[in-house]
Amino acid sequence: MIYQYFGVFISLIAIILGILRFKENKMTLGMLSFWIFIWIAVILVSIYPNSTNILASMTGIQRGLDLIIILGLFGSYYLIFKIYTMIESMEQEITKLVSEIALLMEEIEEKKDIETKSK
Amino acid sequence: MRSAVDKDDFSSYGVNSVNHSFESNMNYLESSKPAIYVVIPAYNESKTIKNIIEELKSRKFNIIIVDDGSTDKTYEIASKSINNSNGLIYKHVLNRGVGAALKTGIKAALARNAEIIVTFDADGQHDPDDISNLCQPIIDGKADVVNGMRNFNEMPASKKLGNQIMNVITQIFYGIKVNDSQTGFKAFSNNAAQLLDFNSRGFGVISEIMGEVKKNDLRMEEVPIKTIYTDYSMTKGTNLKVGLKILFRLIINLFKKVLA
Repeated sequence: MIYQYFGVFISLIAIILGILRFKENKMTLGMLSFWIFIWIAVILVSIYPNSTNILASMTGIQRGLDLIIILGLFGSYYLIFKIYTMIESMEQEITKLVSEIALLMEEIEEKKDIETKSK
Repeated sequence: MRSAVDKDDFSSYGVNSVNHSFESNMNYLESSKPAIYVVIPAYNESKTIKNIIEELKSRKFNIIIVDDGSTDKTYEIASKSINNSNGLIYKHVLNRGVGAALKTGIKAALARNAEIIVTFDADGQHDPDDISNLCQPIIDGKADVVNGMRNFNEMPASKKLGNQIMNVITQIFYGIKVNDSQTGFKAFSNNAAQLLDFNSRGFGVISEIMGEVKKNDLRMEEVPIKTIYTDYSMTKGTNLKVGLKILFRLIINLFKKVLA
């Protein structure tokens, strides 16, 4: 089936991209392992699509691939949410920095003022 | 009382602030009138900021301007007109929103032992004469926080709806019922200002502050204020779009609290 080749192909590219990013220090080891784990799972499912039926019958969903898609969807939503919180906390950190810089700059100006005054 | 207005000219720095010397603070502590600091967050308000500073200067208030990364001449104009008077100007190198600017301003005022901190919008919609009215309940010891209350009947319809929705939202999310949850014109006692802990960067901060009032069990009073609706100030502040944005953010925050 064509989707099987497609799945393997996409997964391999994803794994290679992940390794490249890891080499450039743009990905942590933990994230890389997680990334590779996910895509190897996709490769296995692509090669043995029937294996998902076991899971499907366990959960009561009729077709194995449906289950995978549902899981994938939930997983993606979780990741998006995680990224949202990450960005949000980064924004808060930037705000804190900007505020601190503003307060510090003023303090420095003030010291300068006092120094000039005392001269 | 403010005898220590600096005569020395430090304008060679081209920027901010004079008269924040230690002595001038001491003078304030000694005087009977409480030290009132007016915090003005400003983002691209070059058209109005000069007037506001002049008005406040003539009333002898301490001014703290926080330029929130303006891309126009707000900072230059503000530092020029504030020079040689009882004012300070802080500059955010990046635009972080009115909430962040307020936080910086309040911190700065607390560092100068402000007894009362008044927050004031930079778009010229508030009347400086209202500041004393706003401070009075705090001076009298009747309140920790005073909320300016605009007259909703005078409000243009587009704003009225947005503001009424925000009142309801504030009540749902923060459990505090206020007649006007969205005005930026408020006064805080030193003690109250120290207790406030808010993180919203945008206009949502005003609701969040109301929530902090409730959380810390602070005494709040509402005082009617005049609002000057100019074409310019109409383009700013809470309208329906901003209201929806705030609502979206509140819901996201709620999710975060549940999931995190």
